[in-house]
Amino acid sequence: MHDHLDELEAQSIYIFREAYRRFENLAMLYSIGKDSTTMIHLARKAFFGKIPFPLVHIDTTYKYPEMIEYRDRMAKEWQADLIVGRNEAAIAAGMGPEQGRLQCCAKLKTEGLTQIIEKYDFNGLFLGIRRDEEGSRAKERVFSPRDKNFEWPYKDQPPELWDQFNTNFEPGTHIRVHPILGWTELNIWEYIKRENIEICPLYFARDGKRFRSLGCMPCTGPINSTATTVDEIIEELKTIKDPERAGRAQDQENAYAMQKLRAKGYM
Amino acid sequence: MNQHETLKIVIVGHVDHGKSTLIGRLFYDTGSIPEVRYQEIAATCKAQGREFEFAYLMDALEEERDQNITIDTASTFFKTEKRPYVIIDAPGHKQFLKNMITGASSADAAILLVDGAEGVREQTKRHAYVLSLLGIRQVVVTVNKLDMVGYDRKVFGQVENDIRAFLHSVGITPSHVIPVSAREGENMANRLGHTPWYSGPTVLEALDTFENVHADRTLPLRFPVQDVYKWDDKRIYVGRIESGEIRKGDEVIFLPSGKITRVKSVEKWQKPDLFSAGAGESIGITTEDELFVERGEVVARRDNAPVKTREIKASIFWLADQPFLAGKTYTLKLATAEVTATAVAIEERLDSSSLEVTERHAKELLSTEVGNVVFALKNDIAADLYSENIALGRFVVEDGTLISGGGIVRSLSSDTGTSAQTIRLDEKFIINDDGSFVDLTRERGEIDFYVSSSFLDYLGAGNRILFRLRDPGQVGPVALMAFEHDLNFVFTRSRDRVDLILYKFGKEPELADFERGGL
Repeated sequence: MHDHLDELEAQSIYIFREAYRRFENLAMLYSIGKDSTTMIHLARKAFFGKIPFPLVHIDTTYKYPEMIEYRDRMAKEWQADLIVGRNEAAIAAGMGPEQGRLQCCAKLKTEGLTQIIEKYDFNGLFLGIRRDEEGSRAKERVFSPRDKNFEWPYKDQPPELWDQFNTNFEPGTHIRVHPILGWTELNIWEYIKRENIEICPLYFARDGKRFRSLGCMPCTGPINSTATTVDEIIEELKTIKDPERAGRAQDQENAYAMQKLRAKGYM
Repeated sequence: MNQHETLKIVIVGHVDHGKSTLIGRLFYDTGSIPEVRYQEIAATCKAQGREFEFAYLMDALEEERDQNITIDTASTFFKTEKRPYVIIDAPGHKQFLKNMITGASSADAAILLVDGAEGVREQTKRHAYVLSLLGIRQVVVTVNKLDMVGYDRKVFGQVENDIRAFLHSVGITPSHVIPVSAREGENMANRLGHTPWYSGPTVLEALDTFENVHADRTLPLRFPVQDVYKWDDKRIYVGRIESGEIRKGDEVIFLPSGKITRVKSVEKWQKPDLFSAGAGESIGITTEDELFVERGEVVARRDNAPVKTREIKASIFWLADQPFLAGKTYTLKLATAEVTATAVAIEERLDSSSLEVTERHAKELLSTEVGNVVFALKNDIAADLYSENIALGRFVVEDGTLISGGGIVRSLSSDTGTSAQTIRLDEKFIINDDGSFVDLTRERGEIDFYVSSSFLDYLGAGNRILFRLRDPGQVGPVALMAFEHDLNFVFTRSRDRVDLILYKFGKEPELADFERGGL
C-alpha cells in the first residue's frame, strides 16, 4: 500500500510529463532552495534519471556563497544544463534593497527572469511554488499562463479539473507549470528524508540558527533553531507557528506585497 | 492509516452564508493561524474600523478584501489531533462557479454551508448538485449563523429538512447536519452550550470521520498512455495507472487500437526488476512487441476492457461565457485522449439550482447550466461509464483553446470493437435480375463506402439505385458519398425504415419508384 508521499510524487511526475509532452521549449527555475531541489529529484523520476530541459538560476549577486557553491556542485552531479541569468544593467546601475525591497525584487529577479525567457525563447517554465507558502500562491493553477507582459490574470483564470490542464494558449503567452503546488512544507521535508535528497547546508542549524527559507542575504534572516538533521527539522516544524516565509523581508513590506509582485511576473 | 495524510475538504454554499468566517474559525480554534498573520489581520481590521474578520485569512487577494467575497479558490491548511487538513475555499458567487468547480474537483469531502436565517438558496442547490456531479460523497452540512436567530431549534429543524430533501434528490446523504455559529464558535471545534437540543458531533469531529479518496486498485486495470519515450534503446509507455494493477508478463490490450501484447517490464527510475504497480502510481512499461501506439490509448486486460466508442451521452456543466451550442464542434479531453467531438444534440437543458428540465432538444447551454448531451466523436476513444470507472468516465470540454466545461459519461454506444464497416459499391454486387439494389438493413455499426468506377459509370448512364437503410443514421454516410461524387438522392420513410434512391441525371424519382423491388 502506498502512502501520501507516493501519491504526491505520482501527481508531480504526471504534471512533469504532461508539460514535457505539451511544450517544446521548457526550462526549470532553480532557486537552490529545498523546494526546487525536491522538484529536480521528481523530474529525474519522471524522466528516468534525465533532466530533459535546462535549469535556470536568476542570480541577484546577493546570494550566500554556500548557495552558489552548492548549486554548481549539484548541477554537475545531475549532469544538468545550468543557465545563470543576471540583470547586468540593473546590477551595474547599483540596484539593491536599499532602493526599496520590492523594487529590487522586481528588477533583479522578475526582470532578470524576463530577460532569460526572451533570450532563450522559453514557452514553459517549471516553478517550485507551493499553495501553503502564502495567500496569492494558494490561488495558483498547476498550468498558469502569463501574457506577453508577464502578467498573471489571477482575476479570471480558466478552470482546471481532474488533472486536465489548459495547454493551448495564444502565441506569445508563456506557461508556468507548478509540479509541487499541492505539497506542504512538511511534505517536502518528509520526502527529503525518505529519498535522502542532499539539500543546501544553510538549512541546518549552526550556532543556534538556521534558514527555513533561502533568499538574498540582505532580505533573508535565519530562525532560532537547534535542528541539525532532517529529522530534527521535521520535529521542529510540527510545533512551529510562524509562517515559512517570515524571514523573507520582501513579503512583509505591505499587506499585498506578494500579490503585487506576483501579478507582475514574480515567482 | 498514515497520520500525515492530508484530507482535502472543499467548503461550498451560497454567497454570504459565511464560508470564509467558518474557515477562519476552524483555523483559530485549531491553533493553526500563525501569530503574525493573526496580528496582520487584526491590524487591517482595526485600520478599517471593523471587528476582527476571520474571513480575511482566506481572502488573501486584495480585491477580495475590498469586496468581501472570495474570487478564486484558495487553499489553506490546519490540523486536528487525528490528521492535517487542507481547506479549499470555493467562491459562492454564481459568476465564479468555474473557480468553485476547480477547487471542488480535487476534494475528498465537502462542507455544505447554509445560512440558518436565510435557508436553502439558489447557490446552495447548485453547489450541492455540482458535488454530486463531481462524485463527492462525503458531505457534512453546517447550518450557520444560528446566533442571529437565538439558536432556535425550530429554525434549524426547518433548514435541516429542506437541505436533506434536496440532497436526497441528487443522490447525496449527508453524514451530519450540524447547527453552528462560525462567528461565536458554537459546535465548530467546541460545544459552547447554546444548542443543548443537539447531540451530534462538532464540525471537527464530523470531519475526522471522513476518509481519503484513493485511486482504486481493486477495479479493472486502466493505464492511459500519457507519452512514449524512445530512450536508451527502449520504447517506454509512460502514464499513471488510474485503476487496477499491472504486472510483468500480463497480457494486455491497447484501446482503441485493439493491439495485444505482453508487459515486458514495469519501469521506475532506480527501481530495476519491478514486478508490478498499482492504481495511483506514475510508471512506465515496455512491451514484448513493438506496437507504435500513441498517447491516448488505454492499456487494459482483454476480458475487462473499456468501451471503444464514437458516441458518448453525458451530463455536462458549462462554465464559459460563450454558450455551449448544439451542432458545434469541441475538443473532449478524457484521461490522456483528446478527440474532436460534435455536440449532436442537447437532449435536456437543466436549471442547475432546481434540477428542472427547462427545455428538451435545446440549442444552447449558458454558463453555469447543466445539460444532457450527445457527442459524436471524430475518432474512436476508450471510455467507461462514470458509474463504473470515474477516471475513464469523465472529461473536460475545450471550446477553442480553454477548458470550458466538464462532463460525466452516462452511456456509451459500443460497436463492440469494430470500426466503420466499408461497403463496396461495385456494379457486380448491386445489379441483380430484379434491378439494382443496395441492402444496408443488416449493417449495425458505422458504415462508409468504397465507390468503384463501374458504379459511377452505371449511374452516369442514367440508371438509378435503390438503397434500403436500417435507420435514419445511415442517411448521413450515403449523403456524404453522394456529395463527394456529385450524385443526387431522394429518400422516403417506409414503415420503420428509410429507403433512398441515388441517381445522377434525369428527373427526380417519385414515390412509385420506391414501390418496386429494385430499379
